[in-house]
Amino acid sequence: MMNRRNFLKKAAAASAMAAAATMIPGILFASDQVDEKLSGNISWTKAPCRFCGVGCGILVGTQNGKAVAVKGDPNSSVNKGLLCVKGYHQIMCTSSADRLTKPLVKKNGKYVETSMEEALDFVASKMKETIEKHGKDSVAMYTSGQSTIPEGYVASKFMKGAIGTNNLDCNARLCMASAVAGFLTTFGADEPMGCYEDIEHANVFVLWGNNMAEMHPVLFSRMLDNRLTRKNVKIIDLATRTTRTSKAADKSILFTPQGDLAIANAICYEIINSGWANQSFIEKHTVFSKGKTNIGYGTEDKFAFKDQAEPIDFEQYKTFLEDYRPDKVEALTGVSAKDIKYLASLYGDPNLKVVSYWCMGMNQHTRGTWINNLVYNIHLLTGKISQPGNGPFSLTGQPSACGTAREVGTFTHKLPKGVVTNKENRELAAKIWKVPYENIPDKPTYHATEMFRAVDRGDIKFIWTQVTNPLVSLPKTSRYRPAMEKESCFVVVSDVFPTPTSDVADVILPAAWHVEKSGMYGNSERRTQYWDQMVEAPGEAMPDAWMTIEIAKRMGYGDLFPYSKENHHEEIYNEYRQFHVGKKHNMAPLEVLKKESGAIWPYIEETGKSTQWRFNSKYDPACNQEKEFDFYGKPNGKAIIWQRPYEPAPEMPDNEYPFWLNTGRVIEHWHTGSMTRRIPVLHQAVPNAYVELHPDDAKQMGIRNKENVKVISRRGTTVLPASINERGMPTKGQVFVPFFDESMMINDVTLDAFCPISKEPDYKKCAVRIEKA
Amino acid sequence: MRQGYVIIGFWVVLLIAAGFIVKASLMEEQVLNNRGIIEQHATNALPVEEGVFKLSHNAKEFLELFKHGVTSNKNLVSYRERRAFPGAPPTIPHPTEEAHSMGGNDCLQCHQNGGYVDKFKAYTPITPHPEFINCKQCHVPVKSTVAFKLNNWKKPMAPDTKQQALLGSPPIIPHSLEMRSNCLACHAGPSAPVEIKVSHPDRVNCRQCHALNDNSKNTTKIWTR
Repeated sequence: MMNRRNFLKKAAAASAMAAAATMIPGILFASDQVDEKLSGNISWTKAPCRFCGVGCGILVGTQNGKAVAVKGDPNSSVNKGLLCVKGYHQIMCTSSADRLTKPLVKKNGKYVETSMEEALDFVASKMKETIEKHGKDSVAMYTSGQSTIPEGYVASKFMKGAIGTNNLDCNARLCMASAVAGFLTTFGADEPMGCYEDIEHANVFVLWGNNMAEMHPVLFSRMLDNRLTRKNVKIIDLATRTTRTSKAADKSILFTPQGDLAIANAICYEIINSGWANQSFIEKHTVFSKGKTNIGYGTEDKFAFKDQAEPIDFEQYKTFLEDYRPDKVEALTGVSAKDIKYLASLYGDPNLKVVSYWCMGMNQHTRGTWINNLVYNIHLLTGKISQPGNGPFSLTGQPSACGTAREVGTFTHKLPKGVVTNKENRELAAKIWKVPYENIPDKPTYHATEMFRAVDRGDIKFIWTQVTNPLVSLPKTSRYRPAMEKESCFVVVSDVFPTPTSDVADVILPAAWHVEKSGMYGNSERRTQYWDQMVEAPGEAMPDAWMTIEIAKRMGYGDLFPYSKENHHEEIYNEYRQFHVGKKHNMAPLEVLKKESGAIWPYIEETGKSTQWRFNSKYDPACNQEKEFDFYGKPNGKAIIWQRPYEPAPEMPDNEYPFWLNTGRVIEHWHTGSMTRRIPVLHQAVPNAYVELHPDDAKQMGIRNKENVKVISRRGTTVLPASINERGMPTKGQVFVPFFDESMMINDVTLDAFCPISKEPDYKKCAVRIEKA
Repeated sequence: MRQGYVIIGFWVVLLIAAGFIVKASLMEEQVLNNRGIIEQHATNALPVEEGVFKLSHNAKEFLELFKHGVTSNKNLVSYRERRAFPGAPPTIPHPTEEAHSMGGNDCLQCHQNGGYVDKFKAYTPITPHPEFINCKQCHVPVKSTVAFKLNNWKKPMAPDTKQQALLGSPPIIPHSLEMRSNCLACHAGPSAPVEIKVSHPDRVNCRQCHALNDNSKNTTKIWTR
C-alpha cells in the first residue's frame, strides 16, 4: 500500500515529467519506433469541413479507397482539433443508399437513367435552343455558397462571359447579401476586417441575434475556453429567443423582433452623450451620411429600389439620435434603458476590447443592410475596430459564402472583381476571360427571390441549380414550388442526393460530394482552404465545375474552357487569382494552400504572411502607412457612419395572426437536411422539425408538449409537434421553427419580403396563427 | 523536539507543494496561451499533453477500487456501439432533459467526477475533457430509431487494443489524443470498459511506457539529414 510519502514522491515525479513533456516535446513519445502496420492503414488528409462558414480544419481518414473517419485537425488555427457533431460524422452521408449515381432524364413523366454523355448533350441542346428561341435572358443558373471556388468561377465565366447574361445568383443571397451590402456601404470593401484570433484578445463578446452555441459551436467553444482561462471575459447574448447561447452567456438580453434597429441607435446615443465617443478617430477616419427612408419591402414582383447617400454632419447625426434615447425606445424594443446603458458602457469603456458577432439574425432582415450599418456605427464611434480583440465581425453561414459567392461573385450584379455596372471591372473580366468586352451585360437582372418569381411568371424558361435545394430553402415556397413545376421552365438540378428540388427537375445530374473532388473554400475570416480529392465519386457522379465545363463545351465555348479534367480546379484557381492581384485582395498561391491549413487574404507573398487585421496600417500593408487606419475601400479612406432609422417589419402580428414566426437551424442539421438527415447519428438526434412556443402561450391555448399544432400564415400552413421548455424558448408572442425538415415545410408559411438594398429575404419575422391540429 | 521536526517538516512539504502548484499553473497558462495566439505554421496547437495527469489525484482510489473488484458491466461492445467510427464522439445513451443549460450545470454534474447512479444501475463514465462545457456540440441523444434513408455505412474496425511491438512490451496507444489525453478518465475507475481497464492506475505517468501510434501523421517519408 502506498503511504503519504510515496504518494508525494510520485506526485513530484509526475510534475517533473509534465515539465519535461512541455519543455522537450516529443521526447517521450517515440511513435516512429512502432511498426506502422500495427494500427491499420488509415491515412489522414486535411480539408476544410463541408458544413458551416467557420471553416474548421478536418482530417479525413481513408482506408482501402473509402472515407472511414473524421477528426479535428490540430494544426488548423481555426478549430485547433475540435469539431462539432456534424463535422465528426459528415462522411457518413456519402454511403446513403439513395445516392444519385446516374443522370436521370424525365421522359413522358418518368425518370429514365441515361449515360452522363447523353444527359449533358440533352441539357446543352435544351439550353441552346432556349437561348435561340427566347434570348439570353431566358436562361438562368442558381448556385451556392457551398460551391467551391472553381465551381463558382466557371459558372460566372459561363453565364456572364460566354453566354452573356447576368442571370446568375446563388443561395448566399438568402444568407449573406445584407452583410455584403453593409460592408460595401460602410467601408466600400466586403468581408470582416478582423479574424478569429480576436477571440483570444477580446474582453466582451456581444452576440447580436446569434445562437453561436449551436450555429458556430467551435468558435463559441473557443470563446468559452477564453472565459475559463482569462480574467475579464464576458459574453452578452442579445436575442429574441432564449437558447443554449443565452444560458452560457453572462447576460441574456431579450428584445422584440425588429427592435435591434432602435437598440443599436440607442447605444450610439448613449455612447455620444456619455462622452465615450472617440473624437479623434471619428474626425480622422469617418464621415456621416444618410440614405433614403420608407424604402419598402419588396413583396411585389419587379420591385426596384436604389439608395441615395446624402452627406450630413455630426451635429445632424446627434439630433437624429435624440429619438433613440434609451428610455424612449423601451416600449419599441422591449429592452430596459438600464440594459441599453449597460451595453453602451461595455462598448464605451476604453479599457475593454469588444467584438460584436452576428449572422442570420441581422442579415435575414428587411432592414438587413441598415442593422449591419448601425452595428458598424457603434464600433466606428468608439474606434474599436481593426485591432486584435476589437471589431465588428459578420459570421457567415455557408462554408464558401465568402470564398465563392462573395469573392468569385456568383451574384447577378457581381464579377470576380467588382460589379457589372462598372466599365473597368467589365474590361478586366473580359480580358482575363478572353471574351469580347461587349459580351458582359452592364445591368444586373434577377436576385434570388426575383429569379424564382421570373420562373413563375414564365420569363425564365431554363434554370440550372447546383449545390442547393431552393424548394426547401426559399421563402414562400408555397409560391415557388408550383412555379418550378410549370411546363414553361426546363429545370436541371445537380445534386448528391434526391431533394424536393430534384423532384421537379427535368434532368437530374449526379454530383460528387466534398472529398470526392478537389477544391477550395473561403471561410468567414477571409481564409482560403484547399483540399485534395480523397475518394472516388460513385457511378457517374462528377464535380459540379466539370459539369459546367462540359455543358459550355457542348454549346461551342470550348476555347474559353481549356481546362483538363484531372487538374481543372488548379488551372481555374490560377486563372481566378489574376482578378485579385494587388495589395488589397491578393490570394495565396496554390502551393501555400496545399501546405498550410489555409491562408487569409490579402496574402503578402514577400513575407508569406496572412493579413489578420485589415485597414490598420500596423498589420495591413495595403494601408496608407502615414495613417494609423485607412479604410481604403472608400476613395477618401474614411468609413461612413450611417443615419438609419427604425422602421417596422412588413408584417406585424395582429388579431388574426397574433404570433411572430422566427425560423432557423439546429446544431445537428445543416440547412435543408439533405446531407445531415442521411447521417444516422444526426437524424436520430433530431428526427423532425417542431415549433417552439413560450410556455405561457402554450398554456393559454391548452397545447401540451409534442402535441401537433398548425402554424398558419397568409401564405400557407404546416403541421408540427409543439416543443415547450425544450431546447429553446421564444419570447412571449413568438414561435420558432427549424427549417431543415422537408416533410414539415415551414417555408410554405414564411414571407418573401427582403431588404431593398441587399435583396436578402427576412426569414425571422412574419405573422402567424397557431391552432391545434 | 520531535514535534518540532514534524512541524518544520510539514512546512517544508507545504512549501515544496506550493512550488509545484505555482509551476504547474504557470505552465498551464503557457500552454493555453500557445493554444490561442499562434497563427501561421501552428503545430500541435491543441496540446495533447494537457490532460495526462489530470485525474492522478484519484489514482490511489482507482487502485483500491481495482483491487476490490469494484466494477460496472461496461465493456467495449457498448462502448463501440455508441460511436459511429473509432474516435467519433459517443452519443448519449440515456434520456436527457432538452433543458437549455450548459455543461457546468448539467452533464458535468455527473460526468466530471463519476460515481454510481442508482437510476441507471451503472457507474457514470468520466469525461476526459471537462473543460469543454458545450457538451451537446458533439454529443447528441438518440431520439428515434427510424432512419431517414437507408445508409450503407460500414463501421470501420476498431484498432486492436493489445498492440505490442514485442512480446510483453507495453501496448501502444492506438487512438489519437486530442481531447482524450487524460488516460485515467477512460482507463481507470469503475466506469472503464473492462477490456481497456488498467491494472496499475497508480502509475500515473502512463505515457512513460505507452507510446502513441494512432497513425495521425503519414509516416511514409524518411527523415534525411
